Amino acid sequence: MLQIEGLATAYGKIEALKGVDLSVQGGQVTCLLGPNGAGKTTLMMTVAGILKPKAGSIRFEGEELVGKSSADIVARGLALVPENRLVFPALTVRENLQAGAFRRRDRNAIRDDIDRMFVRFPRLKERVDQMAGTLSGGEQQMLAVARALMSRPRLLLMDEPSVGLAPLVVAEIFQIIRQLHSEGVSIFLVEQNAHMALKVAQQFYLMEQGRVTFSGTPGEMSSDDVIQRAYLGQRRAA
Amino acid sequence: MLEFLQRTLDGWLEGSAYALVGLGLTLTFGTLRRLNLAYGATAMLAAYVGAWLYARQGLPAWGVALVVVGLAALIGLYVERLCFGAIGSGGSTQGHEGRGSATRVGGGFDGTEVVALASSFALWMQLEQLAVNLLPRHLNAFPDLAARTEWGFFGLYLRPDRLAVAALALLITLALTRWLMHTRGGLAWRAAATQRTAAGLVGIRVGQVQATAFLVACALSGVAAFAVLSLEGQITPMLGMWMLTKGLVAAMLGGLGSVRGVLLGGWLLGIVEAHAQAAFGAVGREFATYALLFLVLVASPAGRSGLLGRGGLRHAA
Repeated sequence: MLQIEGLATAYGKIEALKGVDLSVQGGQVTCLLGPNGAGKTTLMMTVAGILKPKAGSIRFEGEELVGKSSADIVARGLALVPENRLVFPALTVRENLQAGAFRRRDRNAIRDDIDRMFVRFPRLKERVDQMAGTLSGGEQQMLAVARALMSRPRLLLMDEPSVGLAPLVVAEIFQIIRQLHSEGVSIFLVEQNAHMALKVAQQFYLMEQGRVTFSGTPGEMSSDDVIQRAYLGQRRAA
Repeated sequence: MLEFLQRTLDGWLEGSAYALVGLGLTLTFGTLRRLNLAYGATAMLAAYVGAWLYARQGLPAWGVALVVVGLAALIGLYVERLCFGAIGSGGSTQGHEGRGSATRVGGGFDGTEVVALASSFALWMQLEQLAVNLLPRHLNAFPDLAARTEWGFFGLYLRPDRLAVAALALLITLALTRWLMHTRGGLAWRAAATQRTAAGLVGIRVGQVQATAFLVACALSGVAAFAVLSLEGQITPMLGMWMLTKGLVAAMLGGLGSVRGVLLGGWLLGIVEAHAQAAFGAVGREFATYALLFLVLVASPAGRSGLLGRGGLRHAA
């Protein structure tokens, strides 16, 4: 569904991605692990079209995304739930959802989708006319997911959706990920919480210092020292 | 008592003009988080060209109005490209900044802000000099739409032309607020104003939104300049500085970036100035302006909350 080849992105002279290759299969939950500073968020931002890569290609359902604007990319069915949620703080919950459907023109269907989000996330319904900036962290994360879903993506990118949230809320987020997966949405997830990720993902990648250094299934992962490296960013001394 | 009311009324009318002037500034700040120091100079050059066409070519008042508004937008395009488009925000650095703003949601003072501020100052000087070279005399004629009569009621006097300017300020503010709060385009403006990265992610073309907002703001500066000048029937090189200071103080009183706030801020400034002038003369008036600005800066150092009102594009982060 998503094929990334030789992707390189830099901030000025600092290379954050040094030739990343990976692919995401349709209908799967794919999880990207890696220590802080490995380039995971940079990868997500590059795929979503917010950052421009220096080299490489990103193909989504066979179509090249490099060179396309983030507006074109979201219109093609790929949405990102960004790190730190980035809800629109001064917009109400409803307006946040409307903004999520910005590239769509089907007014009635958008209204139905908003109602559907309120069924999926009942807490958001209680807060519908509240400014998003006044929501709790967990509620903001729900809103960020709901906002991304409003574009009706076929592939949902999620950048550390569990970070900074209470364990119960984290469990809720993963419940939603499972649910979306069962509804046929493909998911590409960046996650520090490897234990939770092991329960939902079918395919894993590990990134270290701007490169993919491991790929495999959950079974292959536990036989390697991947989880250790995901946290510490280096090989365990023998 | 009657005198007090008359002064308040006069101050309110003058304040409406301040609000009209501040509207564009607050719109620019609301969408770009940048202060456009060339704001007054943009309107001034456009008005000078209008005055030149009026005096030398005999262009009628309505033609001058069109030229001033259109030219202000056009000069605004030049300012935007030079100061705000390429280096300021959006455009080529959008991605890089987007990444930054993920960690800097509060909106600190970064390098590009300084560059935008400094380069807009340079353009302020350039545009003002161009205007003065076009019409070197201190005083120049401008289409005079001032009313020859005054309306009196219950012992109070009111110039209908000034009332028209006040109505114009109110109308534009209401229309703009309505558009911002109730349309898809307005939603895009507010989204891009408060969370640029996320706006890009949901498919809003942030650079386009910001450039459009900037053009609209500059066209509004043209509207304000024409309205204010046609009350006097003359134009001086003080216009640019006057528009920037009065507009900025009005916008800051209402909370820089708030569309409704600038109306209230302008009114407050006008009324306080009118009473200060009556009590302490012209010096007192100037003193009141800057005392108010000082108060706002003490009350909210970032200049974001102001003393009055919320709404529109404001609510920074």
